Formats: sequence, structure tokens, C-alpha cells
Amino acid sequence: MKTNKKTSLAGTKTTLGLPGFHRPNKHWGPLAAVILLLGALQLQVFVPTVLAESSTDGISGGARPWSVQVDRVDPGDVGLDPSFGAAIYENLLEELTKTEQFKQVFRSGDRNANDAPGLLILKITVQKYTPGSETRRAVTTVSGATKLNVRVQLATREGKVVQEHVVDGNVRFIGGNLRATHNLAHNVAATLKKSSLPEQAAVLPEKETGNISR
Amino acid sequence: MTSYQVGHGLAFLTVLLSLSPASIGQNQSEAQSPVPGSAIHVTQVLGFEGAKHNATGELKIQVGVMQFQHDGSTAAQVSISSIQDIFVEEGDKQLGGTAMTLGKTAAPYGGGRVVSLFAHKKYDFLTVEYLDNSGGFHGAIFQLEKGQGETFKKTLVANGAHITPPIERTPAQSTLEVKNENK
Repeated sequence: MKTNKKTSLAGTKTTLGLPGFHRPNKHWGPLAAVILLLGALQLQVFVPTVLAESSTDGISGGARPWSVQVDRVDPGDVGLDPSFGAAIYENLLEELTKTEQFKQVFRSGDRNANDAPGLLILKITVQKYTPGSETRRAVTTVSGATKLNVRVQLATREGKVVQEHVVDGNVRFIGGNLRATHNLAHNVAATLKKSSLPEQAAVLPEKETGNISR
Repeated sequence: MTSYQVGHGLAFLTVLLSLSPASIGQNQSEAQSPVPGSAIHVTQVLGFEGAKHNATGELKIQVGVMQFQHDGSTAAQVSISSIQDIFVEEGDKQLGGTAMTLGKTAAPYGGGRVVSLFAHKKYDFLTVEYLDNSGGFHGAIFQLEKGQGETFKKTLVANGAHITPPIERTPAQSTLEVKNENK
């Protein structure tokens, strides 16, 4: 019995110990090497394909064929403060650049836009404006919100409206009144990003489309 | 000492601390009388090419240019002749920034709201519309001490800045804060 116990213990030791582990796994060495080799081959085959796919997207420019020129904000007849008009305009330029939806973002009056192929004009008309109060917001929490409501139009050079949206921008709790213009610009950029722009061939006259393909 | 007393003490302390900078700020703004042509301390809210948002610095008029220099950095400038229009509006802002806002939110027994009632200050907002070298339109907004806006505007006009006469413009009263305050 004693001898048997010893043998069984020795058996366990050989299986669990480090040298014991290496000895039975000797055969797995070549197999592991083959698996690694196959893995490497797979990577070599698939990674360039994925890279090629992503680079093709960038080269074709299919995602961003349009450029945009932001027009000056039309204050409408709501008595918009000049600072609000300027802030909406400047924030829009920033937000549209951030989204990377357009190839180029031009300012109103920029001469470089004259030669840009596939140009859309972004027009903003203020429809509603509620001037708020930062102090009132801070004291009451529920009143004093600054609210803006604008009509956004994307049109071609020829004046054909491609897209039209109505967008809001408010500041209700924390932040100065001009924060509403930032929120509005962010919402406008997000709305435009969500909506898909039409194919240039369908919208632009033949002459301009020809310029683009060149 | 009970927690009730501690709470009251904290609220009182917050009110006291917030009122002191407000009153100091008011005195400073009253004391400063902007001298035409000299540099004035402003906050560039947005839109001035080459300057960061909400950057504080000196705004001055030099030979033919309006220059904004952020503390310790290179100056950004535009030609005065490229200025298309200038507007001055009066506005009201809460003092203390984000830190103060958080402090007010944390203050017990609505102490923060009481603080907000007093911790605000009136400013002039100067909007300068100008064209860059490629004809691109810019709208820059500066926050100035109350009373400095009109003086700076006059100085710019005297140096050749173009402004649209008030008759051509649609009558627009400053509504940054005033409208709601009057209600």
C-alpha cells in the first residue's frame, strides 16, 4: 500500500511539475509554429485589403465632394443683436470645419470660393429670438432662457435649394447668453451631417460637373 | 455646534466672499476712464483671427491697425480700413466663471441663488465686422469694461474705420440682457 501511494504521488508530481509539463508538450512545438505561421499569413492577406479599402474612400473623395460657403446671418425682423449674428456665423464656420463633411469651408465674400467646384451656399435666417438673462437663469433656474430658432438653407450657386431645415439653439441653465449661438451652430452642423447631400451630377449644371471630373 | 449652524455659516461666508469681488470690480470699472488710442484690457470672446476664444489681453489702435495682444503672446491685428461695421451693446454677466458656478450650486439653503443675485456685472460688448485679405467676412466680439465700448468705437472711426450710419440700419436696441431686466 505504501509503495502504491508513493508511486501515485510521484505520478502527480511528474504531471504538474515544470519538467513534466515540457516533456509531454514537446510535440506541440511544431504545431504551435504552424499556427503562428498561418496567423501571420492571414494578417498579411487581410490587413492590406482593409487598408486599401479605407484609403480608397479617402482618395475618391466620394464622402466629401461639396464645399460650402457660409453666408452672413440674416437677422430677419426679430431684432437680433449684432453680436449674436456674428457669433452664430463664427461658430458655424468652426462647427462645420469640425464635422469634416465638406471639402472646404469658406467665409462669406471669400474670393477663393469663386473657383471652388461643387460649392453650396449656407444661408441662415433667424426666425425667432428670445433674449435671456444669465442672472435670471442663475437665480430662478426655470426662467431666463436664451432661445434661437433659425431656417437653414443649403443652395447651389444658381440658387437651387438642396436642403432646408429649421434648427433651434438654446441656453437654459449654465452659461452666458452667447452660449446659445454655439449650441445652435453645433445643432446646425449635426443636422447637416445627418442628412445626406445629393450627388453633384443631379444638382449642378453640366459645365460645373465637367470641371469636377477633370 | 450643530450642522444647521455650520450650514448657515457656510452660506453667509459664500455670500460675503462673492460680494467682495463684485464690488471691487464695479469700483474698478468706474475708476477706469478709457483714453483714446491707449490700450484697454479686454476679453476676446470669439471671431478675431489669430486669437483664442475668451482670451484676455490688450486691445489697442496703432498706425492703421487694430491690434489684440493676448498676455505674453504675439499680437493679432487687422487693418482699420478693412473694418466694415462696429456695434456696441451693453450686457450683463455672472462673475466667477465655472468655479464660482460650482460653488454656488453646492451652497446650502439656496445660498447660491442669493449670491447670483448680486455677483453679476455689466460689460460693453464690442462687435467688429471686418474683411480679411481674401475678402472673407469676420465678426469679432470683445468684452470690455462698461463705458469703454463707445469710446473705442469713436477712436476706431476717427482712425478710418467704416460704419453704417444708424439710419441705414434696422433699429435694433441692445437685447443682450436689458429686455429681460425691464420685464
